Amino acid sequence: MRRDRYSFLLLAVLAIVAPLVLRPVIAAEILIFAIVAVANNIILGYTGLLSFGQATFFGVGAYISGLMIVHWDAPLWLILPTAVAANVLLAGVIGYLCVQRIGLYFIMLTFAFNQMFYFIAYSWTTLTGGEDGLPGVQRPEWLRDDLAFYTFVAVLALICLALMKRIVDSPWGRLFQAVRDNPDRAAATGHNVRLIKLTSFVVAGAFTGFAGAVYALLYGIVPVDAIYWLRSGDIVFMTLIGGSGNFFGPVIGAVFFIWLSETVSLFWNRWPMILGIVFALVVLFLRGGIVEVLARIAGVMRRRRDAG
Amino acid sequence: MTFLIVSQIINGVVTGMLYALMGVGLTLILGVLNIPNFAHGVLYAFGAYFMLAVTQLIGGFWLGVLIAPFGVVALGMLIEYFGVRQLYAAHHDYQLLFLFAVALILQEAIILIWGPVGTSILPPEHLAGAVNLGVTIYPKYRLAVMVITAAIVIALWLFLTRTNVGAIVRAGIENRGMVEVLGIDVQKVFLLTFGIGAWLAGIAGSLATPIMGLTPSMGFDILPITFVVVVIAGLGSVVGAILAGILIGLAQSLTTIWFPEAAQVVIYLLMGLTIILRPQGLFGKR
Amino acid sequence: MALLEIRDLHKNFGAVAAVAGVTLSVEQGSLHAIIGPNGAGKTTFFNCITGEVAPTRGHVLFDGRDITGSPPHRLPALGISRSFQRTSIFPRLSVAENVWVSAYGTHPLAAGAMLRHADTIPGLDERIRDALHEVGLERHAGRLADELSHGDQRLLDFAIALAASPRLLLLDEPTAGLSRSDTQMVIELVERLKGRYTLVLIEHKMDMVMRVSDRISVMYFGRLLAEGSPEAIRGDLRVREAYLGRRA
Repeated sequence: MRRDRYSFLLLAVLAIVAPLVLRPVIAAEILIFAIVAVANNIILGYTGLLSFGQATFFGVGAYISGLMIVHWDAPLWLILPTAVAANVLLAGVIGYLCVQRIGLYFIMLTFAFNQMFYFIAYSWTTLTGGEDGLPGVQRPEWLRDDLAFYTFVAVLALICLALMKRIVDSPWGRLFQAVRDNPDRAAATGHNVRLIKLTSFVVAGAFTGFAGAVYALLYGIVPVDAIYWLRSGDIVFMTLIGGSGNFFGPVIGAVFFIWLSETVSLFWNRWPMILGIVFALVVLFLRGGIVEVLARIAGVMRRRRDAG
Repeated sequence: MTFLIVSQIINGVVTGMLYALMGVGLTLILGVLNIPNFAHGVLYAFGAYFMLAVTQLIGGFWLGVLIAPFGVVALGMLIEYFGVRQLYAAHHDYQLLFLFAVALILQEAIILIWGPVGTSILPPEHLAGAVNLGVTIYPKYRLAVMVITAAIVIALWLFLTRTNVGAIVRAGIENRGMVEVLGIDVQKVFLLTFGIGAWLAGIAGSLATPIMGLTPSMGFDILPITFVVVVIAGLGSVVGAILAGILIGLAQSLTTIWFPEAAQVVIYLLMGLTIILRPQGLFGKR
Repeated sequence: MALLEIRDLHKNFGAVAAVAGVTLSVEQGSLHAIIGPNGAGKTTFFNCITGEVAPTRGHVLFDGRDITGSPPHRLPALGISRSFQRTSIFPRLSVAENVWVSAYGTHPLAAGAMLRHADTIPGLDERIRDALHEVGLERHAGRLADELSHGDQRLLDFAIALAASPRLLLLDEPTAGLSRSDTQMVIELVERLKGRYTLVLIEHKMDMVMRVSDRISVMYFGRLLAEGSPEAIRGDLRVREAYLGRRA
């Protein structure tokens, strides 16, 4: 538990330093996706379920936030809880349907439902702006400045991570892991496996939707890409490349992903190709993600020190 | 109105047959290798673009339909041999993610080679124009596609039920352990199955070119529909995949008449309904 | 008094009758073994009790209450716990956490304590310690379950079952696949538990069953062939035939 406290302290320090080395909007984007990736890891790393549909919740959160601002000029204290509540409901329904099936079918279902919501957003142009996106999502006065907005996001992100840490340390979190390791035994010890999976799915959906709602404010537009299933792939990528075996791993994944995409798109506009290649390499050779690399380096250094 | 409905029904069956070819390929790979092939859509897209390449470089529509799918088979087998095979020991999540990565790379490759703008291929001259069916007039080419896909399905059925190799593939779906016990090289069966699935995706892609045109994203567009076909059909059911494909094609084209915006969404509603009423799929055993 | 009663239980798989009308009752506090050659329907019978398989016909009564077809996750709360034939643990959790999962599953505070830290829930520590003590794994409490030896993992499987504080403990071939010394260890454990719990033991190793059981039911082709004390079963000609007939 003490180590976790250090990790949070380190994270807070990095969050303060970040806007000194990065453009504030990029730093904010990283933190938004850090929430999403850590939330996804509650499903993937803790519960052992691969969801290929997290963009559903990200997108719905973003559209709710965007629409409430564009049409009603609603305040944030109303928008953010609404986005969370809506996504709890949505993840409850989608999750209920998806946990009826296990393994590969679960993945295919999350993926297909993602596509369904994408098409709703894509076809309902009068509401969402369709392919062109939903523009005119103005931040409230006090967040107009990018640095102010970044600070706001950083505080929210740290709160979200702390809440999620609390959840994975709670009985729920341990039951997620029990279901991941051995669903039959978990059932035989008195636990409703589907309910536990569903809970995990809803928790992740809620935080993902929240992050989506904040994302809408970032560039003042909700692009239809926010809900496209490739975004779900991005989320899985961040989680995995950071390291799904560790609570904080996906944060590193989000940093790496946003940094890589920003850098690559500066000189080549075929970013998905690079993403695909890196993804394939990670899956083939580095399944523990960056966290594993760091652990290996630390191991080598320790051995050197011990030897020398 | 009747003529519209009738032509939409035929349209639905035609696209449905293309979905069915995709669904059958996916279900074979899923059944035998236990992987949902995320690259299945992009193989379909390559079927279309190889077709384009053949018609442009050599010329001849039917030559393209003949050659292009085998290009896709080669591509599919390469993916299996150099990628998926390396990951059999890993959890199936990683095989799936690898195939997703391959799909990304290949879709980008299409854009690099053929450009981001879509194009189309005209049907062969002898099938240009329409034929009068009494209640409606209907494009000849689409009717031809219906006949060809039906023939492919029948041929596949004969292959699976009447040949030794087909029997091995079916055994692989039912029980992979059994194949190993029989002393058959499982890796070869996997490679072959991947090849067959790729061929089906390739032929669907090449036949679809005059109907749906070519865009780099065509593979990503059809992939989720293919998944829906398999979910509705149920695991390992070839017949189910064919019927589910047609069902979805029909639902989609009939919705277009009254509520075109919902044509895509209705597919997923059908899937949701299936999961609620019959989680194992319409033809699934478990 | 009978704690567990099975009445005319049937289970068909298609045309095959795996269990074909079994009636038996398990006395409170006894160790009741169910034996039979492989393929006699023992495992299916067992799975009908644990809720993994829904019986085609017949009833399962626990403490006078009909529990036929209850899903597996409902049984611990009723006081029924089980071990698995193939060691079934949570490999990536620590030994103590493995037992925690089970203790928590029947914990009266469970619903109210959902957002505390998992390790600070009052009343669980003691149950975890007791269960680990019972099987002698306390010193491994902090280790990852995956790192334990085969035999210790089987003991952990037992500890998980015990942490639910069951009234009835169902043991599915607890010595299957174990080395000779590990088998001995498990037999001694079963003897220690005997009398304090009502135990149902599924087994095909005759020697073990004869040694520990109070009462034995012999299954053969889905039916009960004989029932009685170990001595009676040992002398039963039909049982000998069933076993020897297969071996010959």
